[in-house]
Amino acid sequence: MWLWYDWRAAAIADAHGNIVDIASWDGHMTEHAIVQRLSQVEQGIAIPEVQVLLNRFPEAKVCLHGDPELPEADWPFPDDEAQEMADKAALRMAIEGVQRSASDPDRRLEHLVRGSDELRASHLTMEARLIEWAGLFFPMAVVTDRQAFVACVAQSETPADFAQRMELVLPQEQPSPSEWASIHEWAADTSQAQSRLDRLEHALRLLASEHLPSVTALLGPLLAARLCVEAHGLQRLARLPSGTVQILGAEKAFFHHLKTGAPSPKHGHIFMHPWISRSPRWVRGKISRMLAGKISIAAKIDAFDGTPWGDEDVAKVEARVEALLETHKQPPARRR
Amino acid sequence: MGGGSKRRRGPRHLSQTVRLDRRSLWTLNAVPGRAVYGESLRRFQGQEYRRWEPHRSKLAAAMLRTKDDPAFLLPEPGTTILYLGAGHGTSVSHLHDHLCGEQNRLGGRLVSVDLAPRCLRDLTFLAEVRPGLVPVLGDARKHAGWGVLVPRKVDWLFQDVAQAGQVDIFIAACKRFLAPNGTGLLSLKAASERWTGEGEAALFAEVESALNGASLRVIESIELTGYEDNHRLFVVEGMEA
Repeated sequence: MWLWYDWRAAAIADAHGNIVDIASWDGHMTEHAIVQRLSQVEQGIAIPEVQVLLNRFPEAKVCLHGDPELPEADWPFPDDEAQEMADKAALRMAIEGVQRSASDPDRRLEHLVRGSDELRASHLTMEARLIEWAGLFFPMAVVTDRQAFVACVAQSETPADFAQRMELVLPQEQPSPSEWASIHEWAADTSQAQSRLDRLEHALRLLASEHLPSVTALLGPLLAARLCVEAHGLQRLARLPSGTVQILGAEKAFFHHLKTGAPSPKHGHIFMHPWISRSPRWVRGKISRMLAGKISIAAKIDAFDGTPWGDEDVAKVEARVEALLETHKQPPARRR
Repeated sequence: MGGGSKRRRGPRHLSQTVRLDRRSLWTLNAVPGRAVYGESLRRFQGQEYRRWEPHRSKLAAAMLRTKDDPAFLLPEPGTTILYLGAGHGTSVSHLHDHLCGEQNRLGGRLVSVDLAPRCLRDLTFLAEVRPGLVPVLGDARKHAGWGVLVPRKVDWLFQDVAQAGQVDIFIAACKRFLAPNGTGLLSLKAASERWTGEGEAALFAEVESALNGASLRVIESIELTGYEDNHRLFVVEGMEA
């Protein structure tokens, strides 16, 4: 005895493939109801009609439509009208599925990280150009605080105004009014880009500490987010070997190493962490190897719903870093 | 000249809606006035056709390259077909022109499965103006999720998933969904397979024997170089179980 079912009906067939009994869904076929049934089937939940037939034939083996075990039989497939309704429901499900993908923090993090990279790059070039551009007309202006310099240009309507703010003598060569207007607007854009970047990074920090609490506790939100994006998602980061985590972001050096036998990279993005970038050169590799292992653990905690790491756990890792620094105070002797 | 029929010079119709004009393919636009992916639109005898770009669609490339009649590669209009790895709907839209026509006057069903939400987003836009197109957000390997949308076996199945294990996915899909004597098309991207053997030719030979071993008869294997490099399209026929 076989119990066949799809989203709409269930049927019993004997060993010869003769249909013995059928239970069809007699409810009102609305799109919403079909969507519910289709998603139940997708999750592996049997439709109610299966239970009805199972009460009559308790010994029947339940199989979803398409199960290779099922014998050939004239199963009660949906008619054209029902099929058309199901197709509409499938479209609705596809739209809902597409919408659900917006809730995927990995995709959101990717846009935030890449967006902040692009914004930072464009902000830095704009800032550099402004300083050169304004410096062309005011060679005596000394730039100590770049941000303040940009703000100062942004506030000055005229070159004379700017000279006054910076306590400079107005030079003889002057930009034309329209040229100064362009410089002025450029400065306004630059300082706006600065504040936009700050707000974007704030959003990035919030999302990263929510999505990757343990890795964030260990590395800070920006680096944690970058590693997650570089690994193509938290699930994948949690599954990567820690040797890969260690050199994420150093792919070029790594493949150069594989190809030519050049020294292997010791750190990728994690170099940004002060434990590594502020340590002496000869312990960086050791620290990054240890740290990558800890990142893998932290990522697994975040990916598989563990208890997020707190200050205590991070302090333990920091103690390991201190110990490594302590045991390798001197650079290794040069090999002859 | 061996290998199939000679190509006729003049334009000809491969089906009611598909037109082969020397080296370009055109399908009767089911949504007149609208291009799907920036392809050119042109009127032939008062009816608007969309150009089927062989550089964008591996199916179109295969139809231009096949040694057989290209019409053999197309499904019967008005039937149910299955398309795994539908992507952004480039090929799917032309298949819809052929299979369903305007407002699905031919009564076809085109079940198109893809895993990526970004691709599905484009497909759902397409499906809203093209009835008969059924987009499914799902894994081509996990038939249980969406298999109920394909009640009977299909006569035409296309797979273009470009991921490791394409051949196994195709064989499983053919076992489950392809009717005996139905046509199965597998677009194989060599770069997606982990292959440590010698060269692509050996890989393609291996795939062919794997398909034959799975009781699928390989009719033709079409080289797509020029349109799509490192790709090959296998045409198979489902055999009686």
